[in-house]
Amino acid sequence: MRRLLSPRNLIFALFVTLAVVPFLANKYYVFIANLVLLYMILAVGLNLLIGYAGQLAFANAAMFGIGAYGAGLLQAHFGVPYWLALPSGALIAMVSGTVMALPALRLSGIYLALVTLAFAQFTLWVMSHWDTVTFGAGGFSPPRIDFGPLPLTQPNGMYLLSWLAAAGLIWFAWNAMGSRIGRAFVAMRDGEIAAQALGIDLLRYKALAFALSGFYAGTAGALYGGVLGFVGPEGFDLLQMVLHKAAVVMGGLGSIMGSIIGAVILVVLLEVIREFKATMEIAFGGLLLAFVLFQPRGIVDLLRRKLGWDERLHYKAGPDQTAPSEPTPAATRKPAE
Amino acid sequence: MEAGGAGRRRQQVSQMEMFSYLIAAGLTTGALYALVALGLVVVFKATQVVNFAHGEMFMFGGFFAYSFHAMLGVPYVLSLFMAVACAFAIGIVTDRIAFRPLMRSQTLVSVLLAMVGLSFIFKGIARSAWGSSGHHIAFPPLISPEPIMFLGLMVMSQELVVMGAAVVVMVAFALFFKLTRAGKFMQATANNPKAATLVGIRVDRVYMYTFGVGAAVAGAAAVLMAPITLLSPDIGFVLFVKGFAAAVLGGLTSIPGAIAGGIVLGLLEKMAAGYIHTGLEEVSAFVVIMFAMVFLPTGLFGLRGVRRV
Repeated sequence: MRRLLSPRNLIFALFVTLAVVPFLANKYYVFIANLVLLYMILAVGLNLLIGYAGQLAFANAAMFGIGAYGAGLLQAHFGVPYWLALPSGALIAMVSGTVMALPALRLSGIYLALVTLAFAQFTLWVMSHWDTVTFGAGGFSPPRIDFGPLPLTQPNGMYLLSWLAAAGLIWFAWNAMGSRIGRAFVAMRDGEIAAQALGIDLLRYKALAFALSGFYAGTAGALYGGVLGFVGPEGFDLLQMVLHKAAVVMGGLGSIMGSIIGAVILVVLLEVIREFKATMEIAFGGLLLAFVLFQPRGIVDLLRRKLGWDERLHYKAGPDQTAPSEPTPAATRKPAE
Repeated sequence: MEAGGAGRRRQQVSQMEMFSYLIAAGLTTGALYALVALGLVVVFKATQVVNFAHGEMFMFGGFFAYSFHAMLGVPYVLSLFMAVACAFAIGIVTDRIAFRPLMRSQTLVSVLLAMVGLSFIFKGIARSAWGSSGHHIAFPPLISPEPIMFLGLMVMSQELVVMGAAVVVMVAFALFFKLTRAGKFMQATANNPKAATLVGIRVDRVYMYTFGVGAAVAGAAAVLMAPITLLSPDIGFVLFVKGFAAAVLGGLTSIPGAIAGGIVLGLLEKMAAGYIHTGLEEVSAFVVIMFAMVFLPTGLFGLRGVRRV
């Protein structure tokens, strides 16, 4: 039984279930399942950056938006076909993510968080004010996507694309985090100086973490624009950022499986309380706070203990390595359990 | 010829008027940013954490003052003190919920995530209590909005009141640190928490009051600002970013630096808005943060050679 319920098998089962959704469910459920797929990509991408590489960045929602705008504007202004606009949007977000890594090479902790936050707000401002290019605060609708020779129409075609992207990106993240890349990220997170002493090139791996996370968010964004048929700035604001953070923290920092679980829970909750902005703010702010306070290792930790999962590279709630050397509250921290 | 000269003179006068208007507006908003930055700097100095919910303290201060003054009819000055007291209490709540339980056992990432979560809870509460209609709330003006001439500059009388009050708050703040026991405890703790513990200062409690004092100053700033601009639940984040930009310009650990940073940012914003493009007013704080963090990590007046990243 325990062998049967291993994370790998569960992910496999989940994707098989998601693959048959369009054949069984109505359009609404297909849309919800599509959102689940997109938020999985977003949460896994953000987890690579925060949970594994330990870089607390606040620009994931902006990268999501850059992907959506990149792909949508290429279609709307230049008539680029979607099969080309989708990877282009993802690549634009990846490049923006890498550019953002430049300050990350000099900054850490709070400083990095605030620079990325300022970057995210700047991006949002550009999206809603550069009217001639981005169509301003009202947003725009990219042209209908033509699936060409394939016998597919809009909702199911986008669903299939999202499914393929999510499966591919999660498979890649799973394997990359089990490889030397993942080990380098974790070493960097647990202590930059120690990682450097082990011969890990911080510059390269930080840039890689930001690039990967930008690529994931950008892919999700480019798909989101296609799924919704609309791109507007208000979808990529601070609340979106908190949603991503909540998904990652609820599931479990430093666990791919955790991010998948977190994304599923997030989308279901979102559908239940989408009505009021105030309720959403309280609910997701509250979830984020409650998990940090009472279950900092996320749902996956509970499951791990229940089902005896053997997951490597798990997030350690331990001493903070980014703390300055002067005596601070950090100096009196107790060691990790 | 005649007409041209008169036209040019009129143009010069209006140029001068615009300049003086921008200076006055810049100084006023700058003084408010300085107040917000003060709270951030005090908390950061003591705890090494930037209070992500600081803007929400500001927003709550403004809304409480609005409730007391405009809804319950309490006089303005009294409602200022009541709002400051409420903001102080909210600062203490922040410490107890998001900082104290996490500072020993958890990483910096956890503390920041908890504060982000808490700030969203605050925002949601304010939105359901005051902002449900989605409109901005106008605070009743204090005095007549007629402009007056002051030292050859045309200023709004409201702006003079705000600037004067901001200076009073700053002086009170400085005196609090210099003269009172609590202020000295805070300085000692910020300087060296271990040594402060050794001489018998209850560091936990000092952190709590530090959060409270930071929030109280933000609340005072909000009550001063409310008659000039509008209140909305989203204003907290805007002011947090501006206050943080001001604090970064000042080096993030210096109180005089935060005040100077606030004034510089206020003037910069108004000048950019007046002479280049109005949209720049919103965005200049982000640009200042990105630029200052990367190129001026110790601020405009910071000490060289101090590595704090």
